[in-house]
Amino acid sequence: MDKGYKILEHPADVRVQAFGKTKEELFLNAMKGMTEVLQPKIQIPKSKCQRKIKVKSVDLNALLVDFLSEVLYLIQTNKEIYNDIKFIKFTDTELESELSGNKVESFGEDIKAVTYHDLKIEQKNGLFEATVLFDI
Amino acid sequence: MINKSDFKKINDYLWEYPRRSGMKVPARIYASEKMLGEVFKDRSVEQLINTASLPGIINYSMAMPDIHEGYGFPIGGVAAMDSEKGVISPGGVGYDINCGMKLLKSELSEKEIFPHLDKLASKIQQEVPSGLGRGRQIKLNIDALDKILKGGAKELVEQGYGEKEDIENCESNGFIEQADPEVVSSHAKNRGRDQVGTLGSGNHFLEIQKVEQIFDEETAKKFGLFKNQVVVMIHTGSRGLGHQIATDYIQVMMRAMPKYNINLPDRELACVPFKSPEGQRYFTAMSAGANFAWANRQMIAHYIRRVWTEILGERSQLKVLYDVAHNIAKIEKHLVSNKKAEVIVHRKGATRAFPGQPVLIPGSMGTASYILVGTEKGKESWYSTCHGAGRMMSRHAAIRALSGQEIINQLKAKGILVKCYSMRGIAEEAPQAYKNIDEVVEVVHQAGLSQKVARFVPLAVIKGE
Repeated sequence: MDKGYKILEHPADVRVQAFGKTKEELFLNAMKGMTEVLQPKIQIPKSKCQRKIKVKSVDLNALLVDFLSEVLYLIQTNKEIYNDIKFIKFTDTELESELSGNKVESFGEDIKAVTYHDLKIEQKNGLFEATVLFDI
Repeated sequence: MINKSDFKKINDYLWEYPRRSGMKVPARIYASEKMLGEVFKDRSVEQLINTASLPGIINYSMAMPDIHEGYGFPIGGVAAMDSEKGVISPGGVGYDINCGMKLLKSELSEKEIFPHLDKLASKIQQEVPSGLGRGRQIKLNIDALDKILKGGAKELVEQGYGEKEDIENCESNGFIEQADPEVVSSHAKNRGRDQVGTLGSGNHFLEIQKVEQIFDEETAKKFGLFKNQVVVMIHTGSRGLGHQIATDYIQVMMRAMPKYNINLPDRELACVPFKSPEGQRYFTAMSAGANFAWANRQMIAHYIRRVWTEILGERSQLKVLYDVAHNIAKIEKHLVSNKKAEVIVHRKGATRAFPGQPVLIPGSMGTASYILVGTEKGKESWYSTCHGAGRMMSRHAAIRALSGQEIINQLKAKGILVKCYSMRGIAEEAPQAYKNIDEVVEVVHQAGLSQKVARFVPLAVIKGE
């Protein structure tokens, strides 16, 4: 829990359970969980990078999937990972944000896609919780 | 909870779940009684029943014996839809569009290859990048990529990366003509630009194998197979490009479904009428993804052939036995109520098996693989058969059960060489994590969907990351 996410088991794939006091923090932790699954090897010396993204979706569940899909695209095509997000706009159907992170040398695992399979976003004892399954 | 008693026995290898509320057709599973007992461990049966609710589905939603939980459709699922009134669903194809198999045959026996095996395996591993950052990287410009999306393996052969026979021995001759690069997003293209000729990770692999057993001498001869012959098996798909097409179009369909009054129990089943603009765009984009996968396997074959002749000399050639998809949707003509009709066949973790066609079935790492041949009886499953062993154990559980080194040692004891950069990659793909391939193949053989021709065992396993 310290990290804000847990990597759970699934017979064929990988599930990430993320937590957050706010939806923004939930999205950030889900992204960090996804990044850990990819087993990135950071470029040394470290080189910083920044990206901007905008996502619009039909509801909060779709927003999380679309957001992670967009980040995954940026991670894989630019060979970089992000450890911080600055949200400029965040509603249940739309977000705009700035990502910052580091360049990556290689990945140990490939994620094919972010799925809706058993996707859940819940609020428990004031904490948001989401479970997302990745096709790997 | 659904259980075995809800299924009606049709014969020893076929079981039916009758049509209930919400289902348009009954659901059928090809399995032995023992295997049927095991399918309730995950949610694949529920997924098969959900599939039976899709508009325009014909006859049955079907599952092969290697059924396991997927997204939307179960893996091992087959469904044909009426092309006029039915839907098309990315969940019936999977994220890895045209994941599939290619088999290259040598004229050499195990004995002849043995002194060169280590060198061949090492060099192949070097020459075929995983695409995850290690090894050679070639980035195509968008024009060159569009040509591949349009022309698939055929385009690469025309560019000199193979022989005419390669595309003759390939499902759909290596390309679907309806493919349209225009409806493939720039995201998908960017993910694919440096991935032509890359293996990927997970269960994708290359294996140098030998023919261990022949079941059908006549067909084996026709296929050019003989005992102890060395062959090379390629298992990969459309990489990030195909994954992105699936992601893009699930989003498109989810937004479009209310317009067509489609309500589904699972978002991963997102679908639209095949004849709708969104349906047509997905089909032509998916076809482009499929073409990319055929080109990918063709390019990998090209790299392997280069290594082969470099080490064994110009006279040692690798010929293609066949290349076939196991994640795809195709427009095909089949008999429906005794009339030829155009249908959309979704095969998700299922292999096309037209009568006389070679069918390539990989086992899990280090176990056997099979060559089958399609049969007339296969028409009951739209000429489809199984695709592999089917996973049973999570990757974490596999890692806990045995370390990568222990598995390498076990394989070594069986005389199998392993080339993999990642111990974790090896541990995740432990043979124990999969169903028994012999049992899976026995079911489709006994059910008559395809017949056993030969069984292969690996000499060397080469994996990406």
